[in-house]
Amino acid sequence: MWLNRNITKNKSDRKTLSKLLAGFFDLGDRGLESWVKRRFIEKFYGQSPHPFVVALQHPSRATLLGYVVEHQHFLRQWVRSCSFIMARTDEMEVVLYELDNINTEYGGVGTGQPSHYELLLRMGESLGLDRQKAFRMAPLEDTREAIRVWDMICQNDHWVEGLAAMHGLELIANRKLRSEGASIGYFDPMILKNEEISKEAKAFLREGYEADVGHSEQALGLVEKYSKVFGNVDDVQATFLRSIDYFDRYLMARLERSRQF
Amino acid sequence: MKVAEKGCAICQATWGDYWEEIQGQRMFFCCYICAIEFKNMINEVKKKTGWKKIDEIKMTGNHRGRECTALYDGKRYSFNIRFDSKGGIDAFSERV
Repeated sequence: MWLNRNITKNKSDRKTLSKLLAGFFDLGDRGLESWVKRRFIEKFYGQSPHPFVVALQHPSRATLLGYVVEHQHFLRQWVRSCSFIMARTDEMEVVLYELDNINTEYGGVGTGQPSHYELLLRMGESLGLDRQKAFRMAPLEDTREAIRVWDMICQNDHWVEGLAAMHGLELIANRKLRSEGASIGYFDPMILKNEEISKEAKAFLREGYEADVGHSEQALGLVEKYSKVFGNVDDVQATFLRSIDYFDRYLMARLERSRQF
Repeated sequence: MKVAEKGCAICQATWGDYWEEIQGQRMFFCCYICAIEFKNMINEVKKKTGWKKIDEIKMTGNHRGRECTALYDGKRYSFNIRFDSKGGIDAFSERV
């Protein structure tokens, strides 16, 4: 299935397949960061954008609630994954990056700057989903599988692979991808200005919209730098691809959940 | 049943080697997930139309969504379908 979707649908001999794979993994002149973005755009923002992203352009209440229920589980894993990366690196700039990221996503800064996690729960409450009820909802199978994979990557693989696997995912809300070939953005920015969604939903989406450009690009800069230091570019590429395959499924789980509302 | 001339009955890939008998016909699929998708699609169309069997399914699109037309005994039934990661039907809508 991976070959069909990424390389070719035509059964090829060893020599042809080797060439095609070499072409797919070739970083070209623009380096690993650019390659990661290119592969991410192809998968989620290409000719056939991901169905969750399509639904989020002008989201229904059900779409946003599907987002809340599955994403709470994602964010709880997120902080574990970032912590594993921090625990396994000796690089101060990586530790500082992860600390900042954990604060933004999970800890928050005082009462004035609630975390992404808190904003998510508030979005759910504004749509009628009590947070205690949300906490009681177990993740769907695709979410659970994806979380397990990210947990294993960050526990067992090199921390640079973990960095690429996790923070590469923040490209999903990176609005600059539009200028790099994405067919659409994560959502239509008009919904932050009109009355289509609640003010709590706007606050949640706006936070990611503003934070994830910096989060994803800073992390990819670190991935580029340290994959050269450790000589593990190939492993980083493979782990990133594995991560976005599970992310694809996880986004589908948000849609599956939305059908319950 | 008439399906794609080449490759997997769902995605037309020529990789893989998975076979299943459907409506008494031995059919090639690239993987077991595509076979599950195909069987679920056939069953859903039969359920919606009441047809006993299907003569042909024409398909365009990709894993993000497929536009299909089923044919039986001179009748047509057009629909859009998308599958989940396990081959279940994630979205199905009739096309007029």
